[in-house]
Amino acid sequence: MSDTLLPLLVALPLLGAVLAVAAGLASERAAAAVTTLVLAAQTGLAGWLGSQAVLDGPLSVGVGGFVAPYGIELVVDGLSAAVLVLVAVVSLAVLAFATEDAPGGTAFYAQYLLLVTGLSGMAVTGDVFNLYVFLEITGLATYALVASAGTGRSAVSALKYLLFGTVAASLYLLGVGYALMATGTLNMADLATELAAAGYDSPLVLASFGFIVVGLATKTALFPLHTWQPDAYADAPDSVSALIAALVSTVAAYALLRLIYTVYTPAFFEAVPVARDALVAFAAVSIVVGSVLAVTQSEIKRMLAYSSVSQYGLVVVGLAIGTPAAVFGAVVHLLGHAIMKGGLFVAAGAVADLTGARTVDEYAGLADRFPVLGGASAVLMLAMVGVPPAVGFAGKWYIALGAVRAGSWPVAVVIFASTLLTLAYFALLVERMFVAPASESVLAATDGGRDGDDDTDALGPSPPSASRPSRRALALVVGAAVVAIVLGVVVTDLGTALEPTIDTLLSP
Amino acid sequence: MAASPLTALPPAVLVLAAALVTALAGRRLGHLVAGLTTGLVTVWVWVAPAGTHLTGTLFGFDAVFFQIDPFSRIVGLVFAFIATAAIIYSWATDASERQTAYALTYVGSSLGAVFAGDWLTMVVWWELMAVTSTILVWDYGGKAVRAGFRYAVLHGIGGSLVLGAIAWHYAAVGSFLFSAAPGGMVGTIPQVLAAVGIGVNVGFIGLHAWLPDTYPRPHIAASVFLCVYTTKTGVYAMYRAFPDGHLMIAYMGGAMAVFGAGAALLQNDMRRLLSYHIQSQVGYMVAGIGIGSALAQAGAFGHVFNHILYKSLLFMTAGAVLYQTGEENLKYLGGLARKMPVTAAAFTIAALSIAGFPGFNGFVSKGIVISASHYTFVKGPLVVGEFYTLELLLLLGGVGTFLSFIKFGYYAFLHGPYEGDPVTSAPRPQQAAMVLVAALCVFYGVFDGALFGLLPFDVTDEAVVHHVYHTYTVPHVVEGLALAAAGVVGFAVLKKPLSKIGRVPDVDAGYNPLVFYGTRALVHGVTETYAAVDRAAVGLADRAAAVRADPSLLSRFRADIGGSIFILMLVLGGVLAWLGIV
Repeated sequence: MSDTLLPLLVALPLLGAVLAVAAGLASERAAAAVTTLVLAAQTGLAGWLGSQAVLDGPLSVGVGGFVAPYGIELVVDGLSAAVLVLVAVVSLAVLAFATEDAPGGTAFYAQYLLLVTGLSGMAVTGDVFNLYVFLEITGLATYALVASAGTGRSAVSALKYLLFGTVAASLYLLGVGYALMATGTLNMADLATELAAAGYDSPLVLASFGFIVVGLATKTALFPLHTWQPDAYADAPDSVSALIAALVSTVAAYALLRLIYTVYTPAFFEAVPVARDALVAFAAVSIVVGSVLAVTQSEIKRMLAYSSVSQYGLVVVGLAIGTPAAVFGAVVHLLGHAIMKGGLFVAAGAVADLTGARTVDEYAGLADRFPVLGGASAVLMLAMVGVPPAVGFAGKWYIALGAVRAGSWPVAVVIFASTLLTLAYFALLVERMFVAPASESVLAATDGGRDGDDDTDALGPSPPSASRPSRRALALVVGAAVVAIVLGVVVTDLGTALEPTIDTLLSP
Repeated sequence: MAASPLTALPPAVLVLAAALVTALAGRRLGHLVAGLTTGLVTVWVWVAPAGTHLTGTLFGFDAVFFQIDPFSRIVGLVFAFIATAAIIYSWATDASERQTAYALTYVGSSLGAVFAGDWLTMVVWWELMAVTSTILVWDYGGKAVRAGFRYAVLHGIGGSLVLGAIAWHYAAVGSFLFSAAPGGMVGTIPQVLAAVGIGVNVGFIGLHAWLPDTYPRPHIAASVFLCVYTTKTGVYAMYRAFPDGHLMIAYMGGAMAVFGAGAALLQNDMRRLLSYHIQSQVGYMVAGIGIGSALAQAGAFGHVFNHILYKSLLFMTAGAVLYQTGEENLKYLGGLARKMPVTAAAFTIAALSIAGFPGFNGFVSKGIVISASHYTFVKGPLVVGEFYTLELLLLLGGVGTFLSFIKFGYYAFLHGPYEGDPVTSAPRPQQAAMVLVAALCVFYGVFDGALFGLLPFDVTDEAVVHHVYHTYTVPHVVEGLALAAAGVVGFAVLKKPLSKIGRVPDVDAGYNPLVFYGTRALVHGVTETYAAVDRAAVGLADRAAAVRADPSLLSRFRADIGGSIFILMLVLGGVLAWLGIV
């Protein structure tokens, strides 16, 4: 019964977008209300269907009257259920921050829901062409959201992202085309058998793999294909940064995982070991270079963006190694990173709203003035570094374990080093926040900008808008910190829930 | 084995307890308790039943704390007896009760090592012996402190090697017990480690420099203790490690006999001269262990027994001279025979014993080893008439011994009149200790059967030894007299050149500075490397901070839209090339 409700996961936010536009004709607040309602419903639906998928095995439904094995399918297994729930929950949560912070406008809400449509679609589709369609929906919505800051910089960044992202999606589509030529099918499950029949070493299959991986790696923002990402994250409105940093690359990485293991299957890696080596090398370089670039950043949001380059490198290493532990670690880190990075971007936005501080130096003394916000941010940062028992530790631990079991010692060394590298940039920030004397912008914020002397006012980077962080932002950051730790604690339960899915994925 | 009061606890425990009492009881009572205890232990060791007593576990491994067999009994017996004599001597030379207490801990740990029935127990006592002997040296202060430090470092290294050897041995055998490995150390590497580690204690050439460095420096009574235990425990351990002998060890023993005697000949400091003779005499024992036949081992252990008697007697006489004159250097002594007749007589007996003159105990045991080297050992590369390589080395060592003791006696007791302050005879208690030991030296020389009774193998029984040994045969006595004659002639020839020789450097003159400057260079190198790494890290951090402070430095490298897509195409090309498509 629940199978038939699968299309709703895509249809609901899509129709919601239309509804939001309609409601927006009445008032902007109505659009916000509709968006909230739709996302709440989406969260409920995703939670229900996801739990069904985990408890009773994968759900699937054919769409559009095409019959199997060629049929267009929507499929939810344990992995896509986790991603679906993540998308729904995070988008609902960030909406709470967006309605406060948003550049406003009905269009914003429509784009927001379209983004959720695209992301949910990527998670549920069982068809490589539809994956492209949803990838483009996601991309277009994201370009628009980035540009919604309305500044010149954001427009340029959105354009860069648009061109780059479109080329990447096209590469993916080319890859799909090669696969279609080789097999005559687009259904993922069918492709798995047909590709094996076509021969893994056939040039068509290899080319399709190369194009698809490069396309999705661009969307995931692995070094050196990350160049769109820091600009997009840094120049988008703060709430949009939080949303796309938490979800867009995450779902792209999910798509990479899905294609590698459902479409190409582990047997492909067995037959073409250079493919695996290439992916591992690519991701390992990402880990190191991303961290180094993060250390050299002075702007907080750019630092967080480069941090993502490094963390997705870790995720891709895990899924490329391909032992059960490593893949589970990659999934855990994918989910955990979304929570942690989303929370950190919300915190960055809240700090910018409060004090105007946007650089590492301006963060000096922040924790003294805003202990809860500073403390929760620090917890998120340490969780990302990988301090037990947070989820950042759990993910890295399983990935490292997988690497060690697979005998990839150099990779294991890089993973352990990544902890140090992550510490390098977050320790810098924590030191600023907790130890360094307060910066002028922080002082100005807590003085309310009024009772300080004139010099302070004159030198303050921007007039502060409030002397206390907004409740919603604070709740989001603290909530993210709590979830980051709770996820780390219950990671073994998560492992039990996802075990059958991962076993199926990895069975040749 | 039924429990018996005689095997209820290891003798070492009683001696250590006595050490505690001695330290607290005051000088008179302390020495009394100490002497009575070691005297009691002497009897105890004599009558205790042979066998394996007090089995248990040490650090979780099977261990035997008190094992008596013919080998440990003879060593333990003479250890305990000479401790008694040395305590009397300590009393007579104004040694403090604290020093005697330290000496007792040293005696106790040596006894513990000798009566251990497994390697682990032995090595624990062995390390303790190194510690207690170092403390005994340090207690005297002054120049003894630095010498004691060098001694401690060298024995620390030796002990570690032994520890490594037994750990490896355990890995191979699965037990530390001697009974588990009747062939001794198992495997080449444990054998090498054990030989070198124990070699430090017995004074292998090159590892021996601590002997003449340390033993002349502490109190004269402390020297008497020191000359007995460390090296002879080493000989005993060498037997446990190599119960079947080893060719290299046998030749090392022969070389030690020659080297030690030769080096002794060049010395003018009395106790330094005697220290080289320890090496020389231990060479005979090591040769006996290395030969590995029953005759040789009996000879080695007999020589341990006899050597302890006459060598402690020699240190006592040297100490008595030093005690009376305050002078250690033979160049400034002389003519003391008239002033100190008892000391001179005791010295003469000890010197004839150590040199192996017929009628004295050294003649008996040294003869057994030399006989074994002739009848039960390979001929070796050098054969002169009826004499084989190792035998020649041992005989040559004997000539050297005669030479150097003629020198000692001549310069200390005969040469010219004594020119220093008036000297009186040694105090009665000192004389008593010396006479007691001297009497035994003669006793075991004349009544060789008494010594044979103590040996682990009956050297007069054809069923036990390959070649039956008779002490007093014409060729043997002639051989002893010939060695003595060679010594006298040699001394007459060498007297003049020898008198011109100053202090001769030993290997430690090379390795002490080498170790010192080497360590300093190492420390310097480590700290400098650290500083260089530190500078590099700080420099890198500074560069990173500079980049961060001025983002324009980095933003130059930011890819624009065209650049980004160019990179994307490069990567795509690279990936396709890697996959082997283009």
